[in-house]
Amino acid sequence: MHLDVFSVFRNSADFSGVLFYYNGPLSQNVIATMGETLRHRLGCADAGGPKARKLFSSFIEMVQNALHYSPDAPGYPGEKVGAVAVGRRNSRDYYIVCGNLVQRSQTQRIRDRIEPLRSMTMDEIRRAYREQLRQEPEADVVSKGAGLGFLTLARDASEPIQYSLIDVPDHGDELSYFYIQATV
Amino acid sequence: MNDLRIARTPHSPEVDFCFSEHRLTLSGEAYPEDAAAFFHPVLSALEQYLAGADDCDIEFNFRLTYFNSAATKMLYRLFGLLNESACTHNRIILRWQYDAEDDTLLEFGEGVRDDFNALEFHPVALGLAAI
Repeated sequence: MHLDVFSVFRNSADFSGVLFYYNGPLSQNVIATMGETLRHRLGCADAGGPKARKLFSSFIEMVQNALHYSPDAPGYPGEKVGAVAVGRRNSRDYYIVCGNLVQRSQTQRIRDRIEPLRSMTMDEIRRAYREQLRQEPEADVVSKGAGLGFLTLARDASEPIQYSLIDVPDHGDELSYFYIQATV
Repeated sequence: MNDLRIARTPHSPEVDFCFSEHRLTLSGEAYPEDAAAFFHPVLSALEQYLAGADDCDIEFNFRLTYFNSAATKMLYRLFGLLNESACTHNRIILRWQYDAEDDTLLEFGEGVRDDFNALEFHPVALGLAAI
């Protein structure tokens, strides 16, 4: 890597307030290790108490989502990959953003799940969360948390969840990138 | 029946179900890779124990400090089993031990209290060090 390229990379990360960044293979052990590192990093950045808890929860929901639902990386059978960043947006808020591959056939389903949450008030989100909890787990065969994951993210966020779905170059027929961001 | 003990890992909780003393404790954090695979044996053992328990005072100590959405679903099944037994055969106290700073956990506990109202819900605020 050219040192000036690395310098640009580092400067733009600094400028965006990045406290933690990872891009690579995902596994349960990688996630647990990252979780501990993130907690330590937040502790050093003075993000204690409820905020750190919500960030940790959002982090786990996002990266486990990536681990469970992304298809294998093209050319790497059995390997799940993802990128995640946590940073400080201003003196009060943090952001957490995650990107991973999804099957293109799942993109409408993802939109249908997230879009309604974006216009709900916090009270409505809390009510929907409680309702989802009381539903029988068999109601959804694809989702392991039966839709509770996105609701958990929405519950812990201070602003509507942002997301985008982008076709993967050369794999546009079957794969999309799914990016999701929460402000805590 | 035999007690059920599972040691905690960074992402799965400690299970200490002392059936012989009717004292069941769950502590640590729960975000295992496969929540259903982790919780199924726990739920089966609990179901078997409850089927054989009659007119007992059962104490359930809930001390989890974090659980992800998939584990949350499994916990709701667990509370469902306890609630069913509390409706018919046993007296069950749910000691909800949570970090005093953690509003989300208390709020979640209050939801459990409302959804499983046969359980005697006792919230216990703790300092983080005690958990």
